[in-house]
Amino acid sequence: MEEKKLSRSRKVLTFCVVTIIIIGSLYLLQKLLVPKYMTDIVEGAMIAEYYDEEHDHDVVFIGDCEVYENFTPALLWEEYGINSYIRGSAQQLIWQSYYLLEETLKYETPDVVIFNILSMKYNVPQNEAYNRMTLDGMKWSSSKVNSVKASMMEDEKFLDYVFPVLRYHTRITELNGDDFKYLFHKDKVTHNGYYMRVDVKAAENVPKGRPLADYSFGETAYKYLDKMTALCKEKGVQLILVKAPSLYPYWYDQWEVQMEEYAKENDLVYINFLELQEECGLDFTTDTYDGGLHLNLSGAEKATKWLGEFLSKEIGLASRRGEEKLETAWKKKLDAYYEEIDRQTKEWQEKQNGGEK
Amino acid sequence: MKKLVLVLMFALVMTGCGKEKADDSENNSTVVENQNNQENQGSESKNDEKTDTNKVTEPKGYVFEYNGVKIGMDMEAAPIIAALGEADSYFEAPSCAFEGLDKTYSYGSFEIDTYEQDGKDYISTVFFCDDLIETPEGVCLFETKADMIKAYGEGFKEEFGMLVYEKEGMKLKFILEGDEITSIEYSSTVLDVQ
Repeated sequence: MEEKKLSRSRKVLTFCVVTIIIIGSLYLLQKLLVPKYMTDIVEGAMIAEYYDEEHDHDVVFIGDCEVYENFTPALLWEEYGINSYIRGSAQQLIWQSYYLLEETLKYETPDVVIFNILSMKYNVPQNEAYNRMTLDGMKWSSSKVNSVKASMMEDEKFLDYVFPVLRYHTRITELNGDDFKYLFHKDKVTHNGYYMRVDVKAAENVPKGRPLADYSFGETAYKYLDKMTALCKEKGVQLILVKAPSLYPYWYDQWEVQMEEYAKENDLVYINFLELQEECGLDFTTDTYDGGLHLNLSGAEKATKWLGEFLSKEIGLASRRGEEKLETAWKKKLDAYYEEIDRQTKEWQEKQNGGEK
Repeated sequence: MKKLVLVLMFALVMTGCGKEKADDSENNSTVVENQNNQENQGSESKNDEKTDTNKVTEPKGYVFEYNGVKIGMDMEAAPIIAALGEADSYFEAPSCAFEGLDKTYSYGSFEIDTYEQDGKDYISTVFFCDDLIETPEGVCLFETKADMIKAYGEGFKEEFGMLVYEKEGMKLKFILEGDEITSIEYSSTVLDVQ
């Protein structure tokens, strides 16, 4: 009898150990196979960085590359004492922005949310690779579930997001050093969500917009903009719509009219930085690194300075300089920020001097 | 116990195999595949073989012709651009995250867009800028819908307000304002979303 009991216990124990080993191995395999986004395509690592933050921001930016490359939270802190963060990702679609906003407001309630409205031009999912860069970095929550459902292309499967190993298993033959180096930790790729570039490539021959058959923003895009507006009102957050100063993709006059009308109807502030180039002091021969699509550091600082003035004087955000906890956190962040400026500037100068072979 | 291990291993193998098939039918658009494209540029790889099957050396579908140069969708751009001579202006746009440039060459009356795959540029669009040029079938800007139908027939579809003729994996798109053609565009379908 005793022996039988012992034998049964052994079986249960073995079962548990084998199950743990199998699940653990699958978990490790998955960790190994998912892209790390640490070199080349760093944009895929941006969304996850937010979770390491203290969630005490005055301003949160939401949107695509036009926010994470055109505004710099470091300057907002240094010059205006505004603690901000950019929840940006490449080609972030408006439903993804909405669910990121919904998730963010579970962590904190900022005074202001700034949303870049370029993504209004998309009414349907566009590309799995970009979906992945926004969605894989999100922690699991109802917001992520809904964002995945809203974003999937026809040939995508929800289960592949739950178990990314199903999607990425073919990488097994193409693993590189990064996959092992960043298996358990990742480096920061942004400065509070800002992706820095100091190099310069002047804007030339930027194409004008080609005629469209229909200039109206789509129903789905409006649905999610309405949801963002309603959510911010419900939470007592001021929503500010912006069109960043990027020259390309082309921003049509017809789109501008629709956004101005929307802002007016919903009592929202709307700032079109394309119309503020002169006021900001932007010079597209020196303030962009890719011919007018995105600003470089010099341009981002100019646009952010205008925004900082506006947030301080018009919206009334008070400076939080002097708050010990924030000062300590930002001291560390600014050190990294200036270190990165030095590193990139040296690299750019070397390239300018013909150092690049 | 053995059963559990076998079931789990079988499930893993089956999910792997099932996905492999799905991968093969995809159009080189995933993160993994985009990364591979960067890493494997210039080298022979399974990916290269797969994407090369999309490429055409001969014009397909409706083909625009200018000064004797045939400009078909998804054809390699370099020989066409060389044959056309220096463009009036040139613009290139990197994607938000991925490597590779989308390029626009302007030739006054028309523009050519290209996309990059595996280190080579391919024709994605020919766009008419004025009525000094016409399609080989004889349609130019500011003509009427009737002229379009006379040249291309009734077999068009309406897509997002455009009238679209699809042929051999490319699209010829017309935009009309009232009865007047205001836009003519040859377009590759390789980069189309659903």
